[in-house]
Amino acid sequence: MSRTSGTSRRAVATASLALSGILALTACSAPGGSTTDDSTADGGSTASGDFTCGTDDVTLSAYIETGFPLATALFDEFSAQHPNVTIDVREDQFAVITQNAPRVLADDPPDLMRLPQVSDLAADGLLYDLEDAAAHFGWDQWPGSQLEQMRVDENGRRGNGPLYAMGLNFSMTGIFYNVELAEQIGMTEPPATLAELDAVMQAAKDAGITPMAQFNGGATGGLAFPLQGLMASYGEPADINAWTFQQPNATISTPEYARAAEHLQRWVEAGYFAPDVNSLDYSMMMSRFIDGESLFIFNGDWESGNLDTQMPGNVGFFLVPPVEDGGEVGAMSAPLTYGISARAANPECAAYFLDWVATNDQARTIAVEIGGSHPMGPADAFMPEISADSVTAQTLAAGATIGEDNGAMEFIANATGAIYATSWTPNLQKLVAGEIDAATLLATVQADYESQIGN
Amino acid sequence: MIVSRRETVVGRVLLIVLMLVTVVPFVSLFVTALHEPGTYPSGLEWPETPYWSNFVDAFQAANMGALLWSSVLIEIGVVPVALLIATLAGFALGHLRPPGHRVIFLTFLLGLTLPFQAVIVPLYYQMRDLGLLNTRWAIILPLIGLYMPFAVMWMRAHFVNMPEDLSEAARIDGAGTWKLFTRIHLPLSTPALSSLGILMFLWTWNQFLLAVVLVSDPTRRTMAGALGAFQGQWGTNVPLLCAGSLLILTPTLIVFLIFQRQFVTALMQGALKG
Amino acid sequence: MSATRTTGTSGVRGAVGTTSHSQEDRRRALRARRLRRGWVALGLVVPAAVAYAVFVLRPLALTVQYSFYKWNGVTESTWVGLDNYTRLLGDARMLGSIGNALQLIVYFSFIPVILGLLAAATIRKFATSRLALVSRTVLFLPQVIPLVAAGIMWTWLLATDGLVNELMRAIGLGGVTRAWLGDTNTALPAVGVIGAWVALGLCLILLLAGMSKIDPALYEAARIDGAGAVREFFSITLPSVRQEVGVAVTVTVISALAAFDIVYISTQGGPANSTMVPGLEIYYLGFFSREVGQASALAVVFMALVLAVVLPIQRLTREDAR
Repeated sequence: MSRTSGTSRRAVATASLALSGILALTACSAPGGSTTDDSTADGGSTASGDFTCGTDDVTLSAYIETGFPLATALFDEFSAQHPNVTIDVREDQFAVITQNAPRVLADDPPDLMRLPQVSDLAADGLLYDLEDAAAHFGWDQWPGSQLEQMRVDENGRRGNGPLYAMGLNFSMTGIFYNVELAEQIGMTEPPATLAELDAVMQAAKDAGITPMAQFNGGATGGLAFPLQGLMASYGEPADINAWTFQQPNATISTPEYARAAEHLQRWVEAGYFAPDVNSLDYSMMMSRFIDGESLFIFNGDWESGNLDTQMPGNVGFFLVPPVEDGGEVGAMSAPLTYGISARAANPECAAYFLDWVATNDQARTIAVEIGGSHPMGPADAFMPEISADSVTAQTLAAGATIGEDNGAMEFIANATGAIYATSWTPNLQKLVAGEIDAATLLATVQADYESQIGN
Repeated sequence: MIVSRRETVVGRVLLIVLMLVTVVPFVSLFVTALHEPGTYPSGLEWPETPYWSNFVDAFQAANMGALLWSSVLIEIGVVPVALLIATLAGFALGHLRPPGHRVIFLTFLLGLTLPFQAVIVPLYYQMRDLGLLNTRWAIILPLIGLYMPFAVMWMRAHFVNMPEDLSEAARIDGAGTWKLFTRIHLPLSTPALSSLGILMFLWTWNQFLLAVVLVSDPTRRTMAGALGAFQGQWGTNVPLLCAGSLLILTPTLIVFLIFQRQFVTALMQGALKG
Repeated sequence: MSATRTTGTSGVRGAVGTTSHSQEDRRRALRARRLRRGWVALGLVVPAAVAYAVFVLRPLALTVQYSFYKWNGVTESTWVGLDNYTRLLGDARMLGSIGNALQLIVYFSFIPVILGLLAAATIRKFATSRLALVSRTVLFLPQVIPLVAAGIMWTWLLATDGLVNELMRAIGLGGVTRAWLGDTNTALPAVGVIGAWVALGLCLILLLAGMSKIDPALYEAARIDGAGAVREFFSITLPSVRQEVGVAVTVTVISALAAFDIVYISTQGGPANSTMVPGLEIYYLGFFSREVGQASALAVVFMALVLAVVLPIQRLTREDAR
């Protein structure tokens, strides 16, 4: 080869010249110029204002979360009541849906889709504006708090502005406990203060039971659940809502929340979580709890129906207790958010489905019995009968308490579209690994939050 | 050759250990696939009642028939076309050597070490603008292009090594370029072509990134992409996931075991020439 | 895809040419035919060149172009110059991903090559036995299956109650068991183990093939001189397979730097970004955070990194071959 190295150097030069020629050819226009018109506008679909599924055959495409039977059960019932409607379902785990959401909404638009946080999606024009539907169906007559998390204003802030999504029901989080295990360690009634909760967990640990089987593995930082519970006990739910709704100057890097995060860190250091918490996923957590391997899980009422079936009479529920006895409590409460792509083929029919879920008696029964959570809709709407000793009854009752205390909070993981995956999850995993402390956790998340909002 | 008995024994034991390490993950996959759906079995524990039904469930859940057909369609779209155009280019660059052939060849070589991730973002928007997202073309067309550096280099290396006399003789007999190619060179290229074909078959079958990014419907993906989708949907149900993974692996394993000699040769040559 | 060295065969060719002194006419006719043949030849290259230009060169150029813009893939883009690159240099997550990829080289490349060398040197003495022939098939299995499948299998093997921990408990190492993929200290090595498992068979068989070409007389002579197995390995075996080692290193190093499938399936880059690699980060940035410009800037740096690592190895092997 050395004999020809002169030639080959010249050839390399010519080749790179050719390449730069191609570069020059493509580089004449900025990306995202002309191709974007239809995706930023309100949709390829033409809204006629006729929010029904008509009588002709319609196929709705739906993209839903795997592992939760509620959506499928509702689809089945809906198709049974509306024989002309077929629902074509694609399922993925929530983390996958979160990753795919922008891409799928823009380029493979479903009629109904389980959504992660909506502010970025709405601001980018990917979601169908449900204001007309809301007026048509009278959704604006419902308690306003049900819908505010799904309203996005022109600055991309949530809380006000047009409605971009709907809930199948609205859920609430707290602590589920295994009644048998609780009796075994002498917990006869739910702890009334955080100190009591600590004592119970220590007792469980001493008895060789995993106190709390929280998930925190992969892309799912489940320690955000207990953290937020603690934050509500140490601070004001309203401040958390200001943060999650991206109000000006909102911050979580405050002394109160630092105390909450330190409390979580103490739980980690005391070994109250499973030793493999950083690799536990959600369904492993459920499996361990159902198998009686742990005293608590921090979870939402979407599991109430499931737990009533799997361990009847053996599950209890309580909200994260206040710092001092009798203090106010808070809980994460959010609609099980479903939206319609701005480019969906059948937005009216999809909107009709969303209204049907909240107003049809059968659908409301499914929302409670299978979904475990409170249905959307007017405050005085139909409610199915529930057996008083079920955990579903307990979670619904706890929901009422939260309503009285005004303690409903949006999930801190939903403050921005990317905050959960890119900040909460890795930083909570670092907290578990002992790589950062509580104060750094909040400061880092706050910094990421500000840079993401600045975007 | 002088070989001590001790060395032979050590060697055999080592080889068996290595083979065990290779095979055990497959065995574990199989055993786990037989457990009750939704459970988290530990280790290599044989289930009390083997749930053979997992395979049926996974077959239906994964829509195996459609997946296989999709992968076959993608293979048909990629491999023959890529083989053909790479052979033509390799023949021209390696044997005919027109003016500028070195420059052209070097330009092809530029893409040789290119990881697909480096171009995946623009490819996505290119496919979107062509309206091909979520179709099999979104996998087929880019793959043909992405295989070109290796395939052209491979075929060129083959034609460069063909003796010149052969062509001279044919030329003197009045054969044109086309005849020279089809009558003389192509028949002699079968080994090179089949090895390249096997390599591209395998790379296509196992292609993951393009499938995940460009095609959301698993029934229009490659096998590896479909497996990714299966994991995304059923990843929380370990026995079912294992059953599905085994089903998705089976066609590859069967093809491999039938053509194992050709596969091993192709992969070795692929690495050596590559 | 595999990597490559150019085969050094083309140099000799130029020397072969027509030497006969013929008439001017004949020479002109010949030249005309050459020219025509040249156009035909270029025509034959066109289909491959078009496919390559449209689906590799154009996206490559666009990657470079996007890297100077801020674009979410939907709305208008803005020119930001080198901002994406400066941001990359200050971003722990992106820089960390590059560091992780470099670390993966140890597991995806060094370990299988060294293990493969040792094993091949031991096995070569009965390379033609039935056992050795069966092993060729078995050890190749990981090369044939999708990396996704390898990821799924090993995620389960490395889990809290997985086989790896079970074996460790059985041999009295219960104290070190853990969720290997869920511990920030062990997740990257655990991902590395998966890659090593995939690469080992290929390395071993490649090296074995190289060793089978060594003249047995060399070993006989060494034995007569009283050389032990160790000296034999360093003075005969290793020098003879330098080229194969180079090839194995090149192929596995590229697979380490470009790791995607295994990480995507087994850890998604976690926990705490401890297994984040550039390929996955490009995917997240480009399609999840939709920072297309930032993703492209990382892609450009990533390409440069691959070239910077692979080209020196190529150079070394080519010199060895001569």
